[in-house]
Amino acid sequence: MSNYFYVAPEQLIKDRAEFAQKGIARGRSIVAAIYEVGVVMVAENPSASLNKISEIYDRIAFAGVGKYNEFDRLREAGIRWADGTGFTYSREDVDARALANYYAQHVGDMFTEGPKPLEVEILVAQLGSKFRPTKLYRIAYEGTISDETRFAVLGGDAETIKGRFAASEERLEPLATTLKNAVAALAGPDRTIPVADLEVCLLEDRGSRRTFKRLTDDELSELLR
Amino acid sequence: MGLPLYSAHSDPGPSFFHYAEGAGLTTSPGPTDFALPHATTIIAVRYVGGVVMVGDRQATGNYIASRDVRKIEAADRYTAIAISGTAARGIEFIRMAQLSFEHYEKMTDATLSLEGKANYLSPIIQRNNLTSPLMVLPLLAGWDPSHQVGRIFEYDGAGGCYERLDFSTIGSGSPFAENTLRLGFRSDLDLEAALQLGALALYEAGDNDPSTGGPDFVRNLYPMMVTINADGFQELANDDIANRFRAINERRTQTGGLAGGTLR
Repeated sequence: MSNYFYVAPEQLIKDRAEFAQKGIARGRSIVAAIYEVGVVMVAENPSASLNKISEIYDRIAFAGVGKYNEFDRLREAGIRWADGTGFTYSREDVDARALANYYAQHVGDMFTEGPKPLEVEILVAQLGSKFRPTKLYRIAYEGTISDETRFAVLGGDAETIKGRFAASEERLEPLATTLKNAVAALAGPDRTIPVADLEVCLLEDRGSRRTFKRLTDDELSELLR
Repeated sequence: MGLPLYSAHSDPGPSFFHYAEGAGLTTSPGPTDFALPHATTIIAVRYVGGVVMVGDRQATGNYIASRDVRKIEAADRYTAIAISGTAARGIEFIRMAQLSFEHYEKMTDATLSLEGKANYLSPIIQRNNLTSPLMVLPLLAGWDPSHQVGRIFEYDGAGGCYERLDFSTIGSGSPFAENTLRLGFRSDLDLEAALQLGALALYEAGDNDPSTGGPDFVRNLYPMMVTINADGFQELANDDIANRFRAINERRTQTGGLAGGTLR
């Protein structure tokens, strides 16, 4: 006969949160910010092929920090959900808020009921249109969803980076300015991040249906000059 | 629709078709005995810089169901898909192809090769045609960026995929179009010559096949003409197409309806 030990729910949640936080803190952070005509997402990522930022749909992007295999599975599920919804209904019916809610439910379920919490924090960004506003939804490891107004920071060092980026102008600025602020906030005062270690993606209208763009190192160097 | 999460062993991978089938998003094949709009002529001709496609715009059931159907669509920047057969299935097929190529690109951060796209469509065609009388026979043409050539892929009813190095035609009007192409094709066709030949082949099909819509001067509706080359998929403007068919029509008027001894 096995013995069951009582664990208070407070303790259980605290242990799980600590576990998830530790996992997330091991990776580098991501800053996403709204600029004059779009959304820019900046990740510190030494790998050129294992991406943290991805296209989900015409006007929706995904970013994830923490365990790669865990957030990549969420990214794939997001693309399937968006393409499936657009195929069943119409392209304009694919809404980032609905996707962010599904993510929040799943991440929340895994936190309380899963064998272990997901060690991830994810972002769903939406570029505004005639029908919908520009939005940044941040989903934390325990399933909390927050609607960030100007910018969002994901990752272990989020509070410090948030403080640094918040010092920049309140109003929306051109891409180059917002990008420089985001990179400076990620790096902090004592170091510079080489262009090769940055993964930068945009959501911006360029006259075609799809608005996602991954910047090349050359384009990035030009903008950061 | 919930969040489509899979464990590693049951994951459908980057194929939208396999995901959509499993999730029940596709229509199911089944028998029918009522007339559905069908019949078509689509032409694809290779030229030195890519591929030219021409397609009529008439949907035919027991009557003419529509005069302005688009049977050629861009599947992505460098690929065109054209359909013949049952309209309902054809349109679903085009949507499935368009979405599949984009889906693969987003899932893997890589573009499918043109040959990869052609092979991907085979089982989708096979599944439809071997389980339902609602046949659909597509034609895939595109610019192959890795080999820098235009390529044409045609299919048989069982989903077999065959590359054509010269030209291809599908639909009920294809015997007439095919004959014109056989007489007029050369391997060194430039863009203008390929457009002229394609327009002429479609004119022939429209002239002889009751289910192919030729140029409609009364309604100012003309067959679609597109080019696929290093600049991507482009449609010719309606005025340009109108002028080409007017010119053919005038020549034919002078020679009593037939070509009059030369391919023109």
